[in-house]
Amino acid sequence: YGLMLLFAWLSPSQALYFHIGETEKKCFIEEIPDETMVIGTYKTQLWDKQTGSFLPSTPGLGMHVEIKDPDAKVIILSRQYGSDGRFTFTSHTPGEHQICLHSNSTKMALFAGGKLRVHLDIQVGEHTNNYPEIAAKDKLTELQLRVRQLLDQVEQIQKEQNYQRYREERFRMTSESTNQRVLWWSIAQTFILIITGIWQMRHLKSFFEAKKLV
Amino acid sequence: RTVCVACLLLCVSAISAFSQSLDSDFTFTLPAGRKECFFQTMKKDASLEIEYQVLDGASLDVDFYLQSPSGHVIATDYRKSDGVHAVETEEGDYMFCFDNTFSAVSEKVIFFELILDNMGDGEESEDWKAYVQGADLLDMKLEDIMDTINRVKSRLGKSLQIQALLRAFEARDRNLQESNYERVNLWSCTNLVVMVIVSGVQVYLLRSLFDDKRKTCT
Repeated sequence: YGLMLLFAWLSPSQALYFHIGETEKKCFIEEIPDETMVIGTYKTQLWDKQTGSFLPSTPGLGMHVEIKDPDAKVIILSRQYGSDGRFTFTSHTPGEHQICLHSNSTKMALFAGGKLRVHLDIQVGEHTNNYPEIAAKDKLTELQLRVRQLLDQVEQIQKEQNYQRYREERFRMTSESTNQRVLWWSIAQTFILIITGIWQMRHLKSFFEAKKLV
Repeated sequence: RTVCVACLLLCVSAISAFSQSLDSDFTFTLPAGRKECFFQTMKKDASLEIEYQVLDGASLDVDFYLQSPSGHVIATDYRKSDGVHAVETEEGDYMFCFDNTFSAVSEKVIFFELILDNMGDGEESEDWKAYVQGADLLDMKLEDIMDTINRVKSRLGKSLQIQALLRAFEARDRNLQESNYERVNLWSCTNLVVMVIVSGVQVYLLRSLFDDKRKTCT
């Protein structure tokens, strides 16, 4: 069991990685339906100037993880983690959630050449389910577990489709609103021009008559 | 008992014969005038597929290039709105970069998806099989059922991938439409203000011309 969990922690090194500067903040956007769980795992490695390569792990180096919900005002998580970490959140409103990472180290530039390698893996929805745990807890046979996986997948697809319908509705509302505004503005503009023209002519005509030019 | 174990092993080998496909997708904001690079460690003879789309930002285009571990640039795209590249990999770290240096003012939102195949560590994530409890009453029918279930699972996985792609397309259209909406609002108001000012100025200028003349005449 311990081995399985160990594998779960090591897998970020098989994942995507990127380099981050000292004061740099890297942000990722996850567009998800509501009531969806997101688990992110990251692993950091510091550049060692002496050996000219990345150290396998560095204690004491931490990453600051900040997660914002679609309204951009509520911060779900704003926490410091160690050099290898895992963050989890469940969305309560559908939309674009923003996950931002930045290093909490200030001494990096001094003895690391300012380079930090971050391995990142973000799992969403049914990918977050821990099947060994579920199999053990519910005492499932292999067939039952496979069917449970299928059910979870289908549920995720259904959630995404519902969310897709909501987004399409919003999209259609924006389109129709734009269309209407363009129409009304064109009509209004025509009226304003006609009225301004008439007013100008009347005003100038009476002005010239007053000045005894006409 | 031994028959059960043998059949279980048969099932396990039948399942791992169908290769494991890992994929991950990310959406991020690329600031104006910047370049962002990502790296992916690959094994020999695996396959890497990268698909990206620009979701938001002015002209909806970005430069892209993919570099192999030996430093050789495999693919480049100049100012494209979306693209897909698949490559048979060698051992090492592949680097791919999104370049927005040609744009000084507009930041881009970029979505990319990595599909890895034949990475050979499928067995690792299928470990849950070792932890299931009890044994099914095994005969040939069960293998057929497992076969069907595996096929359904892989198709559903593909559905999820396609959904992610469709979501990216829709997000791009929505962002485009929202920026159209804001543009229409802005220019309509500007137009109104300009028209009113211009008509007022015209009238005032004409009047002032005549007033001065009258003053100098008398």
